[in-house]
Amino acid sequence: MMPKETAADRAGGEHILACLSSSPSNARIMHTASKMAAAFRGSFTALYVQTPGSRSMSASDRERLHANMRLAENLGADIAVVEGEDVVEQIAEFVRVSGITILVLGRSSTSRRHIWSPPPLSERIREQTPDIDVHIIPDPASDSDYRERRVYLPGQILSGVSDVLIMGVILTLVTVLGSLFLRLHFAEYNITPVYILGVLLISVFTRGYACSVIGAVLSVVLFNFFLTEPRFTFHAYGSGYPVTFAIMLATAIITGTLANRLKDQIKLSAQAAYRSKILFDTDQLLSKAHGEEEILQVTAEQLRKLLGCGVAVYPERDGRLGDCVFYSLPDEPSRPDPGEEERKVADWALHSRNKAGASTEVFPDASFLFLPVVIRSHAYGVIAVDCRGISLDVPFDSVLLSIVGECALAIESYRNHKEKEEAAVRARNEQLRADLLRAISHDLRTPLTSISGNADNLLRSGNEMDAETRTQVYRDIYEDAQWLISLVENLLAISRIREGKMELRLSPQPVAEVLEEALLHVRGRGHALRIDRTDLSDGGEKLLMARMDAKLVIQVIINLADNAVKYTPAGTEILIGACRRGPEILIHVTDTGPGIPDEDKPYVFDMFYTGRNSVADSRRSLGLGLSLCRSIVRAHGGELTLRDNDPHGCIFEFTLPAEEVMLHE
Amino acid sequence: MNKARILVVEDDAPVRNLITLTLKAHEYVYITASTGESAVLEAASHNPDIVLLDLGLPDIDGVEVIERIRSWSNMPIIVISARSEDTDKIRALDAGADDYLTKPFSVDELLARLRVTQRRLALLEASSPGESFYVNGQLRIDYAAGCVTLDGQELHLTPIEYKLLCLMARNTGKVLTHTFITRSIWGSSWDNDIASLRVFMATLRRKLESGPDAPQYIQTHVGVGYRMLKVE
Repeated sequence: MMPKETAADRAGGEHILACLSSSPSNARIMHTASKMAAAFRGSFTALYVQTPGSRSMSASDRERLHANMRLAENLGADIAVVEGEDVVEQIAEFVRVSGITILVLGRSSTSRRHIWSPPPLSERIREQTPDIDVHIIPDPASDSDYRERRVYLPGQILSGVSDVLIMGVILTLVTVLGSLFLRLHFAEYNITPVYILGVLLISVFTRGYACSVIGAVLSVVLFNFFLTEPRFTFHAYGSGYPVTFAIMLATAIITGTLANRLKDQIKLSAQAAYRSKILFDTDQLLSKAHGEEEILQVTAEQLRKLLGCGVAVYPERDGRLGDCVFYSLPDEPSRPDPGEEERKVADWALHSRNKAGASTEVFPDASFLFLPVVIRSHAYGVIAVDCRGISLDVPFDSVLLSIVGECALAIESYRNHKEKEEAAVRARNEQLRADLLRAISHDLRTPLTSISGNADNLLRSGNEMDAETRTQVYRDIYEDAQWLISLVENLLAISRIREGKMELRLSPQPVAEVLEEALLHVRGRGHALRIDRTDLSDGGEKLLMARMDAKLVIQVIINLADNAVKYTPAGTEILIGACRRGPEILIHVTDTGPGIPDEDKPYVFDMFYTGRNSVADSRRSLGLGLSLCRSIVRAHGGELTLRDNDPHGCIFEFTLPAEEVMLHE
Repeated sequence: MNKARILVVEDDAPVRNLITLTLKAHEYVYITASTGESAVLEAASHNPDIVLLDLGLPDIDGVEVIERIRSWSNMPIIVISARSEDTDKIRALDAGADDYLTKPFSVDELLARLRVTQRRLALLEASSPGESFYVNGQLRIDYAAGCVTLDGQELHLTPIEYKLLCLMARNTGKVLTHTFITRSIWGSSWDNDIASLRVFMATLRRKLESGPDAPQYIQTHVGVGYRMLKVE
C-alpha cells in the first residue's frame, strides 16, 4: 500500500475534489483527479454522497463503490462521506466548506438522459458554486448505458404488499366519504380535496414514490367512476371534468411527492441527529474518561451502539499490541472475540498505521475490520469492528472514523497530561532532593573539616602533643564521626521517600522492643535516658503491639531522643514510653529541660529549622530530624505533636495504629 | 581464650587495616583475603576459627562464599554489610552465616561479636550431642524432663514457648532469622506466623528477663530475627 499522504501534508494551493460513485468509469475520474493533484501540487479529496437510495444498492454496485473508494485512497485521496438527498446541494456545500478549488466530474453525470431530466449535474453545480473550476472527463461510450440499479429485497416486496393494502384501505375510505358527501348534496369541489387528503395520507403511510403516484392516478379514476355523473362509468358529462381530473392528478402527484421527500428528509436528519448525538456523547464520555483503558472502553461501547456489532480493542503497550478486550453485543454474548490469527492483522494495523482486515485490501478474509487509533503518525492502539453478518454502509464511515479519531486525540492528551504530571512530580522531587543535598553537603563539611584536620595534625605533629591534647583530638574525631553516622541513618530514611511518598514496610511489632532498640542508639551527654515501663508491661497479658515500619519508627524515636539530648543540659531526665489510647498506640519522648518557647513551636517541624536555643550545639544541627520524623509518622497515618511538660520541658508524642495479633498456636 | 584464628575477608584496605589492628591489639591471630575466591581458598587451607566476611566483594557475591564454605565446614561466619537494607543480611544468615555487623560499626561492636561467637564455639565444644541439659547463666533446660528453670525456679512455659526456647538454646550465639524460626516451629513462614512469633518472643523474654537487672538472654534484631546470648 502506498504511504497515505493527507491534505495537511501538502502545501499546494489547489484542493481537488472528485466524486465517488459505483460507476465503472469512476476509476478514471479518480486517476485523473489524482494526476491533476500531482500536477498542481494540490491536495485531493474524494467525496461520496450517500443518498436515501444508496441504501438499496445492488451487491455488485456496492462492490464497485468499495473498489473505487480503495482506489481513491491508494491514490492519496482523503475520503469524505456526506449524507443528503440532493447530491448537487451536498457537493456544493462540501465545496464551499472545504475550500475546494477544482471539481472533477465524469461525462455521465453531465449529459441529460431524457429531454425532461433535470439540468446536468455540472451545470447545477456551476450555478451553485460559480467561482470554482469544473473539469469534465470524457466518458467512454461503453459506460453510457450505466445506471445505478436498485434492487428490491424480499423485505421490500413484503412491505410493498402492505403498502398496497394501506393504499386500498385509504382509497376505499375516501371513496365512501365522497359518496357520503354526494348523498348529503355537498358541492363537488368539497369532494376533490378529500381525495387529495387521501393521496397525502398514502404518501405518509407508505414508502417510496410509486404508491403516491399510483394512488393519485387511482383517486382520479375512482372519482370519475363513483362520484361523477353518470356514476359507475368512466364517462363524464360535464365539459369541465377533464380539467378537474388533470388538476386533481397534478395536485395529488405533487402533494404525494412532496410528502415523500419530506419523509426522506426527516429520516436523513434523524439519522444525522443520531450520529451527531453519538459523536457528542462520545466526546463527553471521552473527556470524562480517566486512563487509556477507559478511553478505549468508551470508544468501543459507543461504536458498538452506533454500528450494532461487537467491537474489540487492543491497547498499545510500549510500542507493542496489548491484550484484546472484546465488547460483544448484549444479546449475543457468546460471540467469539478475534482470535490469534486476527491478532496478527491487528498487529499489522498497529505497526503500519493503516486499516486492515474485512473490507480492505489487506487481509480481506479477516472477519473484523481493524482500525489503528492514530494521531500525528503515532498509533495508540487498534479498534476492531466485527463485520460478521453486518455490512458497513460505507466502509469507512465518516462517523466511525471520527470516533476513532476522537479516541486517538483523547489518548494522546491523556498521555501528554500524564507526562506533564510526572514531570511536575519529578521536578518537585528534584527540588526537594536538591535542597536536601545542599543542606547535607553544607552540614557534612563541618565535621569532615574537623576529622580530616585533626587527623592531619596527628599525622604531622602527633608526637609533639601532650597526652591531654591528643586525647582531646581523638575524642573530637570520634564525636564528629559519630555525628556523621547518625546523619547517614537519617539520609537512609529520606531515601525511602519516592514520588513524594514514604515507602513503608509495615508489620506488627511489640512496642517495648522497638523502644529498647531505639534507646540502644541514643547517646546521652550525662542524661538520664530510660524507658517508662508503667504502661508497657503492667499485668502479664497486656502486650502493646503496633503496626509500623520498625526501622523508620526506631529512627523517629532516636531523632526525638537525640533532639531532647541536644537541647537540654546534661543530667536532664529523658523518658521514653508508650500507652494504648483506643485504636492507637501513643508513643512519647518526654524531657524536663527548659522547654521550647511558644513563638518557636510552630517552626520546630520545618525542614532546616534549628531553633535559637543556646544550649544546642548548633553547628551540628541539620534541622532535618523533626521534619523527617513528622513525615514518617504521617506516612503511618498518625500525627507528631509537641506540648509542654509540667512544670517544664517538652513532650513529643505520636500515634501509631494498634495491632491485635491472631496467635498461631 | 583470645588465641582464636580469624580470617578477615575485606577488599577495602583502610577497613581491613582497622579490623586487623583491632585484632592485633586484642591478641587474635588473623589471616586476610581481599577477594571471594582467595577467601574460600584461605578458609580451606588454614581452617580458621572464625571468618569475618564483607558481603560486597569485587569478584563473587559474599553469599556464595558462605555457601561454598558451608559445603564442607561449620566454622562461624560473621558477615559485614555496608548496606542498610536487611535483605542481604537475611540472605547471608539464611545461607548459613552466624552473625552480622553493619557498617559503620564500632571497634567495641566488632569485639563483642567476636566474643559472642567464641563463647558459642566454647559451648559447642563443651557439650556433646547427646547432652540432655542446657545451662546458660541462671537458665537451665532439662530436655529429658521438658522443664525449664531460672535461678532454680521452674518457669511455666506454653508448648510453643518451650519449643522456641529450645530452638534458641540449640543455636546460642547465632542470629536466627524470622523465616528460619517460623519454619522450624510452624513449618511455614506466613506474615501471620512472623507476627505471632513476635508476640511469643516478647512474652518469652518477659518470663526470662523478669527484673530490670536481669541479664538479657534473648536479643531482638529488628527486621532480622533473634539471638540467644550466652550469659556468663
